[in-house]
Amino acid sequence: MTSDLAEVSARFGAALRQAGLPVGAGRCERFASAVTVARPRTKRALYLCALATLVSSKEQGEVLRGVFNQVFDELGGELAGLAGGSGTAAGEPAAQPAGPPEEMLASTALAARSHGVPPAGAQRSEVPDPAQDSGGPEDQDREIEDRFLGSLTERLASKDFAELSEAELTSVIALMRRITLAVPVRSSRRYRRWPGGRRIDLRSTLRQARRTGGHTFRLIGTAAADRPRRLVVLCDISGSMEPYARAMIQLLYCAAGGASAEVFTFATRLTRLTQVLARTSPELALRQAGQVAPDWLGGTKIGSALKEFNDSYGRRGMARGAVVVIISDGWETGDPQVLRREMERLSLVAYRIVWVNPRTKSASYQPLAGGMAAAWPHCDAVISAHAVTALDQLTEALSDQVRRRATVRATHLCLAINS
Amino acid sequence: MSDLSEQLPDVTALLAGLDEASYLADEPLGTALFLAARMGQPILLEGEPGVGKTQAAKALAAVLDTPLIRLQCYEGLTSAEALYEWNYPRQLLAIRLAEARGETPREADLFSDEYLLPRPLLAAIDHPGPRPAVLLIDEVDRGDDEFEAFLFELLAEAAVTIPELGTRRAAYPPIVVLTSNRTRDLHDALKRRCLYHWIEYPDVARVAAIIRRRVPATAGPLIDQVAAGVGRLRQLDLAKPPGVAEAISWANALAILGAGELDAAFAERTSGAVLKYSEDLAAVRRIGFAAITDD
Ligand SMILES: Nc1ncnc2c1ncn2[C@@H]1O[C@H](COP(=O)(O)OP(=O)(O)OP(=O)(O)O)[C@@H](O)[C@H]1O
Ligand SMILES: [Mg+2]
Repeated sequence: MTSDLAEVSARFGAALRQAGLPVGAGRCERFASAVTVARPRTKRALYLCALATLVSSKEQGEVLRGVFNQVFDELGGELAGLAGGSGTAAGEPAAQPAGPPEEMLASTALAARSHGVPPAGAQRSEVPDPAQDSGGPEDQDREIEDRFLGSLTERLASKDFAELSEAELTSVIALMRRITLAVPVRSSRRYRRWPGGRRIDLRSTLRQARRTGGHTFRLIGTAAADRPRRLVVLCDISGSMEPYARAMIQLLYCAAGGASAEVFTFATRLTRLTQVLARTSPELALRQAGQVAPDWLGGTKIGSALKEFNDSYGRRGMARGAVVVIISDGWETGDPQVLRREMERLSLVAYRIVWVNPRTKSASYQPLAGGMAAAWPHCDAVISAHAVTALDQLTEALSDQVRRRATVRATHLCLAINS
Repeated sequence: MSDLSEQLPDVTALLAGLDEASYLADEPLGTALFLAARMGQPILLEGEPGVGKTQAAKALAAVLDTPLIRLQCYEGLTSAEALYEWNYPRQLLAIRLAEARGETPREADLFSDEYLLPRPLLAAIDHPGPRPAVLLIDEVDRGDDEFEAFLFELLAEAAVTIPELGTRRAAYPPIVVLTSNRTRDLHDALKRRCLYHWIEYPDVARVAAIIRRRVPATAGPLIDQVAAGVGRLRQLDLAKPPGVAEAISWANALAILGAGELDAAFAERTSGAVLKYSEDLAAVRRIGFAAITDD
């Protein structure tokens, strides 16, 4: 590796880190070796080497483009149409060969140097040396990613979802990705070796049989391995709940374990979102749900939406043994008795029911709204989960193995009656 | 390990090769694939459905004149399906035959290559060369976490261990192409191991060029009209925006019906080829097909 190349990749890597991308020594090295292999002769070709080696998502690619332009602007203007799918536009300066690769590298190094970004690990050496780094490049990457997330955490994690701008909501994605939504297990159709299990493991059985010349077989059984229960989410998208709905659906989309959830939205009608969500982004999925059920100004009919769920999906099996999460502030414009009845039906088949109500973040909250009071007795947990920092409540409530309906019922029925 | 510098001297050569294999890639994708092959690094391709992720791997194999080994991922994929399985019926038969001869079969004989059924991952590791195979791990986001972890190890080592036979190391480590539709986020560790490229939906001119190549029966203005029409459909915020695959099948449908030009009536008759959901069809009906076909 030439020293120009080492310097370019180190300084560029440092600039990318400053912009928040998790680029450690490992990635820098990879970029440098890509340059050695591809021998780019234009600025655009150099950029394409960076794009292939330094990011691992479309969004990171966009950040990289900005930083690349900044760092290498000495090489001649903006790189117009850098990310364009169709190749270079005619007359694009960047596409003109800048001489042999070595020459371009030298000028690139110059540009990067004058940009004033210190190379990675400036206090140690000019060029990041992975061997010298005790943790190794991968660890360094991890550490950078953690630090990157750390600064975000402080600013946004404690903000109420309703106060996050669209852009801020997008930037908590990284935090949400760190969350694992784990629900309790049930037996599944997957098998693992288990003495006395009813299904026979041929591979192990034959391994035994070879000792006896295939004479006496000792059948080796397998038993069902445990698999997580189904997670079903019913999400209120009426006016005031919209920001929370957005955040929750984004969480399901990002968090480990969320992708397999069955997701429904409701205002006055129930809409199944699972398929749409698998194909598109959370924003688009919600926008579509809003279009499909454009009548949310009419208020929320939680009870009838729940009835639709119970009738069409829940009782047929989707809710059976599942952990059901209902996200709503409980403002029922329909008859609370319908909601009470449907919650009861649901509670007979569901494993646990978790109600997420952002209003309960206030300590003085009381379930006086007709809907919430009617529903509460059938819930195993009622939580606010109104900000990233409050999402622990959700992960805890989901993984809890204990049903708490009976006790909740006793205390809060009094409340409901008193009101 | 072969360095492929002869087959693939530079990005331009790869792009020309892909073109010959009827795959029209742009420079960014060409660079990413070139680096994957030359650096021996796995590459993760993401992009909307039908944008040519799977085909990119196939075309790369064609360019290198090397086998494409494909593993389609799904939830519950096991190592017996992905890696190898023993040929139990044959083993049983061998045991019985040995018994008939009054012998005891030896373990080493029963668990030898002869009784091994390689599945895609092992086949790729065992590939005898002279050039590495292209291993396509398609829709890796559909597999589960355990499989991802397993895959990560395999990519790191380019080797697998079979308890009865020991470790098999690839003489020609495969060029690994992973694709994902982003239905789920992949593990950081796996992503970090891979080069990455997001395949953008191609612009209208390239879509037209792809149609010209893929649907030889089309001619004249129809090609550009279909490409432009798909472009307009893609701006409508549909549940399933049409991709390259849909552009091709739309052109095909129109060619079969003998359409010389794309007008609203032809578009509506063939809408099934390009709109895959009834909601989407309804949305287009609302604004009228003429809005899609007319300039
Ligand atoms: N750049 C291209 N040049 C030629 N043909 C293309 C190109 N891109 C896509 N196609 C064609 O479009 C169709 C869809 O491509 P492909 O199956 O590879 O998409 P995909 O991204 O793998 O989709 P999915 O996400 O649904 O698996 C194929 O027939 C393929 O040949
Ligand atoms: Mg595919």
